[in-house]
Amino acid sequence: MARLRARSRRGPAQSHNPMPEAAISEALARRKRRDGWFALAGLLIMLAAVLTLVLLLAQLLVDGLPRLSLEFFVEFPSRFPQRAGIYSAWIGTLLVMLVTAFVAVPLGVAAGLYLEEYARRNWLTDLIEINVSNLAGVPSIIYGLLALGLFVNRFSLGQSIAAAGLTLALLIIPVVIVATREAIRAVPRNMREAAYAMGTTQWQMVAHHVLPYSTGSILTGIIIGLSRAIGETAPVITIGALTFIAFLPEAPIGGEFPYINFNWLDAPFTLLPIQIFNWLSRPQTEFHANAAAAALVLIALTLCMNATAIYLRYRYRRRVQW
Amino acid sequence: MDTRSLSQHISHEYNQELEAVRSQLLSMGGLVEQQINQALQALVEGDSQLAETVVQTDDRVNQMEITIDEECSRILARRQPAASDLRLVIAIIKASTDLERMGDEAQKIGHLAVSLAGQDRPSGGYREIDQLGQAVQAMVRSALDAFARLEVDTALRIIREDKLINREYEAIARQCIDYMMEDPHRVRRVLDSMWAARSLERIGDHAKNLCEYVIYLVHGKDVRHGNLDAAERELLQQ
Amino acid sequence: MAAISHIDPKEALAVKARVEQLSFYYGDAQALNRVSLDLAERRITALIGASGCGKSTFLRCFNRLHDLYPESRYEGQILLKPDDINIISKAVDPLEVRLRIGMVFQKPNPFPKTIFENVAYGLKVRGVRDRHFIEERVEGALRQASLWAETRDRLQDSAMTLSGGQQQRLCIARALAPQPELLLLDEPTSALDPIATANIEELLSELKEQVTILIVTHNMQQAARVSDFTAFMHLGELVEFGDTDTVFTTPRQKKTEDYITGRYG
Repeated sequence: MARLRARSRRGPAQSHNPMPEAAISEALARRKRRDGWFALAGLLIMLAAVLTLVLLLAQLLVDGLPRLSLEFFVEFPSRFPQRAGIYSAWIGTLLVMLVTAFVAVPLGVAAGLYLEEYARRNWLTDLIEINVSNLAGVPSIIYGLLALGLFVNRFSLGQSIAAAGLTLALLIIPVVIVATREAIRAVPRNMREAAYAMGTTQWQMVAHHVLPYSTGSILTGIIIGLSRAIGETAPVITIGALTFIAFLPEAPIGGEFPYINFNWLDAPFTLLPIQIFNWLSRPQTEFHANAAAAALVLIALTLCMNATAIYLRYRYRRRVQW
Repeated sequence: MDTRSLSQHISHEYNQELEAVRSQLLSMGGLVEQQINQALQALVEGDSQLAETVVQTDDRVNQMEITIDEECSRILARRQPAASDLRLVIAIIKASTDLERMGDEAQKIGHLAVSLAGQDRPSGGYREIDQLGQAVQAMVRSALDAFARLEVDTALRIIREDKLINREYEAIARQCIDYMMEDPHRVRRVLDSMWAARSLERIGDHAKNLCEYVIYLVHGKDVRHGNLDAAERELLQQ
Repeated sequence: MAAISHIDPKEALAVKARVEQLSFYYGDAQALNRVSLDLAERRITALIGASGCGKSTFLRCFNRLHDLYPESRYEGQILLKPDDINIISKAVDPLEVRLRIGMVFQKPNPFPKTIFENVAYGLKVRGVRDRHFIEERVEGALRQASLWAETRDRLQDSAMTLSGGQQQRLCIARALAPQPELLLLDEPTSALDPIATANIEELLSELKEQVTILIVTHNMQQAARVSDFTAFMHLGELVEFGDTDTVFTTPRQKKTEDYITGRYG
């Protein structure tokens, strides 16, 4: 309003003012009210969503918290709900995630780097690009079917940790590729030109600049991918994960030479989500409490991973600012 | 460069500033021209009242010089003129100095006119000085025209004319020496008229300077203290 | 209209680079049309002209930055003295060109690394490993860029902690450390305040003792202040080239006159 007046003070423009002051403030008030309504509606919808989540979590806490104890983590599954634990499930989850990360990260990052930095733009890369984005949206059960045919049967990996790890890797590779490409794309053009003007080769460009500057975002993408994989049930069930495992695979690090072995890759396994699924399908309600407790562990794990992602992003953002 | 180009700046205000300072200079020129006319008239007709007016006009001329210089330094500071604009501003600063000097010379003639009016007049009046004065007046008028219209040809012609003025002044000076030797009683009067002729000649020199600024303004060529013929040939080639 | 493209021979200046009939195309669009001019050794040549006149395009030809983007095409030649190598020829590796010619950009763009790493980067790219030599060059370049006094105690700090003007001087030091033969500056002060700008300009006039400089600037007064030669470009063509004093007091071409006096041509 002050600006309006300042302008009209300058000259004869005053008489051209199409609206009297009262009408202007009336219109303004009307528009502000409309703004207010929208903000209120948004707030209500958001509250509804958050409230649902909070209620779910509260239900889980009420059901599961009493069952959470140290023994719960180191007991194998059992016919007796009070003695059953998630030992084999969380170890299995850990090992499968290890395989997934080892496979998905190098493949995904390398593919993203290649597509973004090296590949020429043509119909082939366009096709690959469309495929990658679509793959990220394919239902996970499809991956399970593919893995069943490919890893379990064709490559005769059987229902092993390796097969599950590879399956989940397949699932998150598109996520890692997309995240890597986004991260690389965020390296500003003027930084690239600065580096090229210094006479860098393409590889120096990637090694000295692109990767260091985008590490934070790439790591974030990887963790988001892994936290998706950790909760997946369908594909792992499809390839035939067992639901009742009362033993651990051979430890990867042993006391004798050569200290490291890979026998565990071949071992059958179970995972947290599968354990939960299994307990839920039991008729006894005590098992349902176990399921709630295991779900809490799973949620805690996912939250931890997401928190790490957020922390990494924050730290690298502070280090690298354009 | 021509006079229209003054008004083609993107900044409208800049156009107006340059135009304003240019017309101030031209009106200062008009005032000086009038001052010279009146001084000459006062001298030739022995009109001491008119001579007093001439002397007083000089204050206004001086004031105008100061105003123009201030305006020019303001333009230099705020607009940082380049190329033809820069040359215009510099030419105006220099021309205003020359016009002010012309005013001073006219004032001197005014003082001399007062002094001469109190003495007896020579038999032939001041015919030679009148003739010299007319020629100088014409030269000043043409110089100001050349400045206003940016006419290089006129400017070159006037620069050459200055030599004639100088020659005429020499003739008057010789004549004055003869008079003084003939009749020592008239030395005072003859000296006064010789000083007046001297002032007119100086006015001619300043008019010539104005013309040199016109050439600088239009072509960026400095023709002072140089071989005019060579400069002219070069200008004709362009 | 033949713009005079060669340096006045009576000045007896060595030529560092000779541009002959340089045309440049982005795909089908022609951005430069047969530009010819000489860059005098150890002098500052300024390129002025309205946005889109091709002055930055021209500058970027000198270190083949256009090669980073597809569908760019050069014609003509840029001969770099003394060996008369045509730096825009396909046979010449752009990497080699960039190792010989340094560039500073419009927006200060130090790498998000330490001050030391930034300045040493040109040497790292060249595979220099001698730590002692690198330290010496870093100090030398920072001194050349008048940044040594401000940074000697904080070489391990991130370059991002410097002010805008310091960052731009750091970029100049980064370009200078490998001792380039020619330094390109693309509107180096357009993102800086007047004091930082004055510092950079002062720096340039000191640097020209050691290196040939080609600078693109939007700021005509800057060109008038710092350069020895000025080239005025319009719509991809070189309109006028000459010593800066002449261009700014008595330009030969009307287009130049109109541009530097702020007239609509």
